[in-house]
Amino acid sequence: MKKKALSLLLASCMIAGTLAGCGGGGAAQQAPAAEQNTDAPVAGTETAAPAADAGDDSAPAAEAAPVDEANLTETQKIIREAEGMSMEDLAKKAIEESNGATFYGVGNSSRGKSALPLFIEYLQTIDPSYNMEFEWQQPKNNKIFEQLTADSLKDTGTFAMTLIQDGNQIESKMVQTGILDTYIPKEWAEANGTTPDAVDGFLPLQTLNKVFMYNNTGSVTYQNCWDFVGEGVHSLYMDIDSEIVGKNFLYMLTEDKYAAWLKEAFNALDADKQAYFQPTIQEMESEAADLGLGADGAYALAWIKLWVESYNAQTDDGPICNTLVTDSATDQSGLLVYSKLRSVEESAGVSVNNINVAAYQDGYTGIGGYGYCHYLFVTENSPLPWTACAFIAYMTCTEDGFSAWGKDMGGYSSNPEVAAATEATYGHSKGGYDEAGTLQFEAKNDRGYDWWTTDGELVLEDPEYCASVSFTVGSWIELLTKYSEGEAAE
Amino acid sequence: MGEKTKTKSSVIYLNKIKTYFSKPQNIILLLFGITATFGTVAPIVAIVKDTFKIHPGTIDAHLTGRATGYSTANYVDLFTSRLAKSNLWTPMLNTVLLAVFTCLISIVFGGLFAFLITRTNLKFKKYLSSIFIFPYIMPQWTLAVVWQNLFNSNAVTGTSNGLLVSLFGLTAPKWWCMGLLPCAVVLGLHYAPFAYIMIGGIFRNMDANLEEAATILDTPKWKIMTRVTLPMVKPAILSTILLVFGSAMGSYPVPHYLGLTTLSTKYVSMNSKYTGEASILAIIMMIFGIMILGLNQMSLKSRKSYTTVTGKSGQISKINLGKVGKYAIGIVLIVVTFFTSIFPIISFAIETFLPNPGDYSFLYTGDMNNLTTKWWVTRDNNAGALYGQPGILFNKTIWHAFGGTLLVAVCCALVAGTIGTLIGYAVSKNRRSKWANYVNNMAFLPYLMPSLAVGAAFFILFSNEKINLFNTYALLIIAGTVKYIPFASRAALNSMLQLSGEIEEAAIIQDLSWFKRMFRIIIPIQKSSIISGYMLPFMTCLRELSLFLLLCTQGFILSTTLDYFDEMGLYAFSSAINLILIVAILIFNTLVNKITGASLDEGIGGK
Repeated sequence: MKKKALSLLLASCMIAGTLAGCGGGGAAQQAPAAEQNTDAPVAGTETAAPAADAGDDSAPAAEAAPVDEANLTETQKIIREAEGMSMEDLAKKAIEESNGATFYGVGNSSRGKSALPLFIEYLQTIDPSYNMEFEWQQPKNNKIFEQLTADSLKDTGTFAMTLIQDGNQIESKMVQTGILDTYIPKEWAEANGTTPDAVDGFLPLQTLNKVFMYNNTGSVTYQNCWDFVGEGVHSLYMDIDSEIVGKNFLYMLTEDKYAAWLKEAFNALDADKQAYFQPTIQEMESEAADLGLGADGAYALAWIKLWVESYNAQTDDGPICNTLVTDSATDQSGLLVYSKLRSVEESAGVSVNNINVAAYQDGYTGIGGYGYCHYLFVTENSPLPWTACAFIAYMTCTEDGFSAWGKDMGGYSSNPEVAAATEATYGHSKGGYDEAGTLQFEAKNDRGYDWWTTDGELVLEDPEYCASVSFTVGSWIELLTKYSEGEAAE
Repeated sequence: MGEKTKTKSSVIYLNKIKTYFSKPQNIILLLFGITATFGTVAPIVAIVKDTFKIHPGTIDAHLTGRATGYSTANYVDLFTSRLAKSNLWTPMLNTVLLAVFTCLISIVFGGLFAFLITRTNLKFKKYLSSIFIFPYIMPQWTLAVVWQNLFNSNAVTGTSNGLLVSLFGLTAPKWWCMGLLPCAVVLGLHYAPFAYIMIGGIFRNMDANLEEAATILDTPKWKIMTRVTLPMVKPAILSTILLVFGSAMGSYPVPHYLGLTTLSTKYVSMNSKYTGEASILAIIMMIFGIMILGLNQMSLKSRKSYTTVTGKSGQISKINLGKVGKYAIGIVLIVVTFFTSIFPIISFAIETFLPNPGDYSFLYTGDMNNLTTKWWVTRDNNAGALYGQPGILFNKTIWHAFGGTLLVAVCCALVAGTIGTLIGYAVSKNRRSKWANYVNNMAFLPYLMPSLAVGAAFFILFSNEKINLFNTYALLIIAGTVKYIPFASRAALNSMLQLSGEIEEAAIIQDLSWFKRMFRIIIPIQKSSIISGYMLPFMTCLRELSLFLLLCTQGFILSTTLDYFDEMGLYAFSSAINLILIVAILIFNTLVNKITGASLDEGIGGK
């Protein structure tokens, strides 16, 4: 109560001060419209998956169907219909809807811009007279959520669809609030051995991996994921406040499966190293209990604590890659997007061969990196919902549609058929070989999604889990003193 | 009888209104008073409202258990939670320290430079005077990037080696590479031209009689400096503090790149999970702006006692630096300005020819094959080596952003310049009116508010059901105009105050219309200051980031595109954009100089 009173007082002073500075005109009339809409729950408003076949005349289904239909918005009805359509039928609907129109998309990946012209070309194979203008925006960092939230306030939005990352925020800010709708293409579901209505969750376009790498020009080797939080090690990593998926990685480590991986890796360390980490793990046991984590939660918290207090924050994965591949970055390490290696040009001081991908090294134990998804959604107030669905289907169900991403290593289509076709075309598993078949860069031989998620021990993002621990584990992480902050304060 | 009196008084009242509106300055004040009030107060109200609003998926929703509505949870949490120190107090302390040190460095460096240029027989003045303003032309964080490229090292910062280590094996300590000191130095260098322009203006026009009198009385030189010269430039120092403090406080990119947690960087990092609390940080920054406005009011009062020294004197005495001194100090300044003004440009140019960002291997190998033109001439955007981007010459994103930047800068300069000039004119005509004073302050207030906070406020104001202007040039132009009106209003006010009322009165007697008076008499006389009022918004707008950061996406304007490439580590692109910006500004400055005879280093407030 005291805190509330103090804060009210502070707030009043600040507002009064602010308005006074505006010429002293008018008293503070900004008393909050407290307790308005107080009964609106945080919990989701997302409707359930579409009902069963229309032909089903059984009594329960017949009774249930009208209720579901009544609850569906116009966009959701279109999505439901689209989920039962083939790619070609959907394309015809898109042509009908968007011929001559302008399509606005927004995404965390700039390559939506490259995929759209291919999509238009595809539609032109069905109707040569078809044409569509397009604009693709790529807000940086977290701004996409603000942009989509602002756009959702309009009756008809600007953006038809989005390609977005960070499952945690998508769940809490976009899906639970009804700003975005999930559409599952029929062919995509079939390729994954299921049906659209049986899919529970978001539609991923692809999984991207951030993997542990280190500079090998010195003598230090990283044989275990605990080595990256060892004494005096300051791995390069994008700041967790600037790229929130980085924070999701830390959240995911506390899930039972990944905490167990960390414990296994710890057990594989030699006695000296175990002795170094043991006090931190013991210190974390009570914290893990307080946060309601599983049996191995202390291992996860210990690793997270050591990581946050040691990583060297960088603005992006690009500068991290630029650093690690130089011959002067001796013994440096980092956790960065694997695909960044594609753009390194060999020179006197720079080489891809100056780095090792930790998980590819013989004898390496423990997590090899972090996998997160680019998800696709139709906006609830989409101006072109059919076209949005068709574009999403095109990207997830055809090799051409995925080619904007598929041409590079480190991004794996969520559609197994597209993933196989992409590998057949681009051969990322042999990406380190030159045209003569000679191995040039071991690190560029991408071992693929299946390897990374099994042998490579890639930690995979689970949006629901991330959202559930965001204010427990998340708040605990925020109390830790980051290495960069500690240094700056000195 | 009563009826007659009533009619008479209403006629008098109507006549008074008629007389009031017969003066153009009163119409201007009324019109822009309302506009400035809306432009300044509405965003503040919007952001205050946001601090109470519950945002889904953020801390306030978590604490209240609700997804909509209003609450004081953000205030409670920000001021009293366990994170209060790291989220509020430490960033606030760092912000204040950064602003204070930036002011100090810019005033000492800029002031000393101004003194040497205007009051001594220093050599190479013309060159030095032109080159000194370069850091202000360049986006402020580009100096931060240059700083990193110079001093970073694998041993200390854990990154690849910068030039100092690569070439000479010298490793700079961590406090020199990151944190408060480099941030203050970089911002201090960036704003030093402000101090030079303002303090230099007074030095140039200062009557030297007082100093000469002190010399005749055999006063020691240090005493003349501290008792006579410095008090005379005190108003200019206060003006510099006024302009620099708020700008330094609201700087986002420099502390972001050089690793200092300030209110601005905290605002950005907290915005995803602590949206409402981040808005409180923006309000705190605004309060600092308002406090500075209060200080300005006080300084205006104190300035009255110095009015006699701002008059133009033909007796500017030049201190003799000696035969060697005038060359030696000149050469020292050439070396210093080389590193602050020329080296960054050379560094940007070289960067666009490196095979990998920051890969200076050609320097220590001497092999020129380690240079490339790929960043300029690659057409195929599938080329892996450019991270999927076409080369600079063929990069539509860059050139589209350049077009957008020019559009915003030209519109902001025209609108802000015109409104500001009119406000300056109207205020000078009604200088004793409280309303005029209010309009003047209201128009000036946005400048004192940190850019990031103003941007945040405009984002919130124009992201609603009725008006949704995010990522439109309209929003950028509105925000830029509101923010930069002070450049023009101050320049116009200062110059109009120098103008005797008799000149216009004579024209009124000749029955010349207001437009003729303005375009034939007033504007031509004060051309230089008025042009400054257009040029400064234009130039500042070209490389503004903090204000526009929250209002549009990258690729929309050049500064957000530049920041994007810098963050991505694609320094070739960001360096090229810097070069484009610098060249554009120099071309425009030269054109304006040739056409009108005014130039940037004549500065705010005119000659």
